[in-house]
Amino acid sequence: MKRWLGPLGVLIFVAAAAHVAALHLAPGVIIARALDMLAARGVALHRFTTPERVTPQTQSVVRSSPDLYYALCRYDLSNPGTQVSVRMGSWPDYQSLSFFDARTDNFATIRGSGRAVAVRLLPPGSAAEEGAIVSPTAKGVILIRRLAPDAERFAAATTAGKVDRCRLEWRDRIAAPAGAA
Amino acid sequence: MQRVLAYLAAIVTGAAIGLGSALWLAGLLPGTNNVAFGNVDVDGWRSDFAIGSEAADPYTRARVAHHGLLALAKSEAVYFTRNTDDDGRSLSSACTYRLSGGAMPAGWWSVTLYDQASMLPANTDNALSIDAGRAGSGAWEAIIAAAAPADTKHWISSRNAGAFDLTLRLYMPDPALLSEPEAALVPPRIERLSCGEHG
Repeated sequence: MKRWLGPLGVLIFVAAAAHVAALHLAPGVIIARALDMLAARGVALHRFTTPERVTPQTQSVVRSSPDLYYALCRYDLSNPGTQVSVRMGSWPDYQSLSFFDARTDNFATIRGSGRAVAVRLLPPGSAAEEGAIVSPTAKGVILIRRLAPDAERFAAATTAGKVDRCRLEWRDRIAAPAGAA
Repeated sequence: MQRVLAYLAAIVTGAAIGLGSALWLAGLLPGTNNVAFGNVDVDGWRSDFAIGSEAADPYTRARVAHHGLLALAKSEAVYFTRNTDDDGRSLSSACTYRLSGGAMPAGWWSVTLYDQASMLPANTDNALSIDAGRAGSGAWEAIIAAAAPADTKHWISSRNAGAFDLTLRLYMPDPALLSEPEAALVPPRIERLSCGEHG
């Protein structure tokens, strides 16, 4: 009996470690795959997509709403000297600008019904600044939602989205770093 | 040699148990019930108000990453999901249902139909949801069926959905909904009307 205690202890330890590791890693792996998928479907880095209306044929993210306009922008603030300048144009109905880090946390949301919103996104560890949000992780996704439950409203939302902006900048300059979209 | 093999078997078995249990509890294994989670249950409509927040536990985090990517935190929106009718039977595209309700404690709401993969079902009916704007103020109802009913104002198509669930989105939730959901929310009723070849 005693000779099985060692293997049994190893089994319990490995099971617990594998359980914790899988839970810890799963969101990151899923998010990374989702970001790759979004990139493959044309969601640019540092630029809002011009979205198609969500239908069974165009959906790219689980549980998307066919009643909402979604514009996505992937960001990468790995360079601590950069920031992302974000602008959401005005929209008369519900709209929001939401920020998601690499762990799926919705770390900030700004509601902007009837008004435009401008904000800067700073790299992790940055000091707080007025008009800016500090991202908990270097990479993530910015998402604009607009209430647009029919084709006509969706077309109007697309027009409103032409002034949306998601741009990587140097923090002490306006020009975008080389290679940034 | 036997001792080495015993330890190897323990490592492999332990890794399989740990990985499998994590994926199962997080709802990441195929066929897992999409709504068997959450810390809020209002008449069978389930939600997890930790979605999107730093307070989300690892199981919620993994589940949301898979089934509800880019969901908003509760201060902006809450999401309830249900996959059974009022009598506790699984929702199926082989049946026809009456979905009915009234005003909701939120600035805007919608109910959307998803298949077991958490995707909109593959049809071209352009009828996969009802929202506050279409429902109007006060009491409302919609028919969920695989084919359009003859005399219904609001139709939600379940064509090609198979087993499905419904997600109730409540944007700009009233404070009472967040503090006392069971008291503040009267969720939609789901009454099965018939079942058969065309529901």
